[in-house]
Amino acid sequence: MNPYILTILLFAMGLGTTITFASSHWLLAWMGLEINTLAILPLMCQSHHPRAVEATIKYFLTQATAAAMLLFASITNAWITGQWNLEFMSYSLPTTLVTVALALKIGLAPLHAWMPEVLQGLDLTTGLILSTWQKLAPFCLLLQINPSNTSLLLILGLASTLVGGWGGLNQNQLRKILAYSSIAHLGWMILVLQFFPSLTLLTLLMYFVMTFSLFITFKVNNSTTINSLSMSWSKAPIISSMVPFILLSLGGLPPLSGFMPKWLILQELTKQSLAPLATLAALSALLSLYFYLRISYAMTLTMSPNILSNALPWRLPSNQHTLPLAITTSLTICLLPLTPAIITLLTL
Amino acid sequence: MMYMMYFLLFGLVLGLAAVASNPSPYFAALGLVVVAGIGCGVLIWHGGSFLSLILFLIYLGGMLVVFAYSAALAAEPYPEGWGSWPVLGLMLGYLLGVVSVGTLFSSSMYDESWMVCDEFGEFYFVRGDMEGVATLYSSGGFMLAMGVWVLLVTLFVVLELTRGMSRGTLRAV
Repeated sequence: MNPYILTILLFAMGLGTTITFASSHWLLAWMGLEINTLAILPLMCQSHHPRAVEATIKYFLTQATAAAMLLFASITNAWITGQWNLEFMSYSLPTTLVTVALALKIGLAPLHAWMPEVLQGLDLTTGLILSTWQKLAPFCLLLQINPSNTSLLLILGLASTLVGGWGGLNQNQLRKILAYSSIAHLGWMILVLQFFPSLTLLTLLMYFVMTFSLFITFKVNNSTTINSLSMSWSKAPIISSMVPFILLSLGGLPPLSGFMPKWLILQELTKQSLAPLATLAALSALLSLYFYLRISYAMTLTMSPNILSNALPWRLPSNQHTLPLAITTSLTICLLPLTPAIITLLTL
Repeated sequence: MMYMMYFLLFGLVLGLAAVASNPSPYFAALGLVVVAGIGCGVLIWHGGSFLSLILFLIYLGGMLVVFAYSAALAAEPYPEGWGSWPVLGLMLGYLLGVVSVGTLFSSSMYDESWMVCDEFGEFYFVRGDMEGVATLYSSGGFMLAMGVWVLLVTLFVVLELTRGMSRGTLRAV
């Protein structure tokens, strides 16, 4: 893509998130979300082949629907209460509508159906931007509204963790697996939103770090299916040896950093006398763990039958920028001891 | 006089259901014309004459005309309208949905009305719409610049999405 256009689009994406972050008026928040949606559309159909355009159209339609719902909710709120402030939504209809609209925006179950299909049609870098950056603005809004109904967020969260786990089980396309992983993690974030919002932020940022490393790993190996990962050990052995840790961190196993958000969320849910919910959520993490393990099995833990010469390719210096991968992989593996510091830093 | 508003809003909901239920862009755009016209009527009723004028001129006369021309270029020989049963079924379904949600949300049919004929709160339009536009150009200068920049970005986005006339993907499908 023309570098000037690319610059303008990336700037517009930054602008949109910044506007939503800085807004206390619903119209301005909506405007930021719309700018974000608009600016990512050409990035999504960059390759101009029909699958990418299909993904772009699906993304546009769902995000436009969500933005329209957001607008209806804020206008209803203005009609009832006479003001447009984000934090002062006190009636249940607008608040519920806003929550559902934002759930559609980020892809929580049961409004998740667009996510695997959209991610499947994109290349890995754009998929990464979609999974990480585009979640920031809706979460900023979710963190600021007063939830109307305790059970709505809990149902959205639990359904997302379960759907994210079960949906990813039968996939061998990596981008769909990443989509379902995203849905599951978003479920965990929403579960604790009304009790301890700092944990939502912590889970969001930890998820960003972990999924960044996974996306970039797949990009470096240029693989989009599990089968193509099976020969990556010979081309990039160090990355292949680190991938099980990244995947187990995403699955939430101690002593890796992915355990941090799950641990704290389970603790908070138990403190709120929601122990059965916490148990269900922890069990649903097992489902996700299965497909993370499957990827690491295919990539690192087994060697597929192959002729000897394929195991010894020339390992030429790569032109890919792997420094971000190195940084995020280290953070994905080693951040657990810093839990108290991170909680203190992220206290809202 | 409330009956006038009843008819206007009734036509608005009908037009919206027509937009949503028609798969062909011609009839959907026709529904949009009806909706925009009635919306202008409702706006004028509340005193927002400037906004109504802008809606008619720019929305109907500018954007919808361009849309109609573009839709005509992608011509369909046999557009499906309300004559075919699936479309009519969808239309009736939408109307049923609106009526049922309306009865769900109305407390009674007698002492409460869906129509507001009073001006109230912030929605008193007599000077609101013109003052609003003027404020955008004076103290809202930063947001004006933001709006202008976003419009320019939208232009680039549309150009990028429709790049490559017959080689591009929007023609390939």
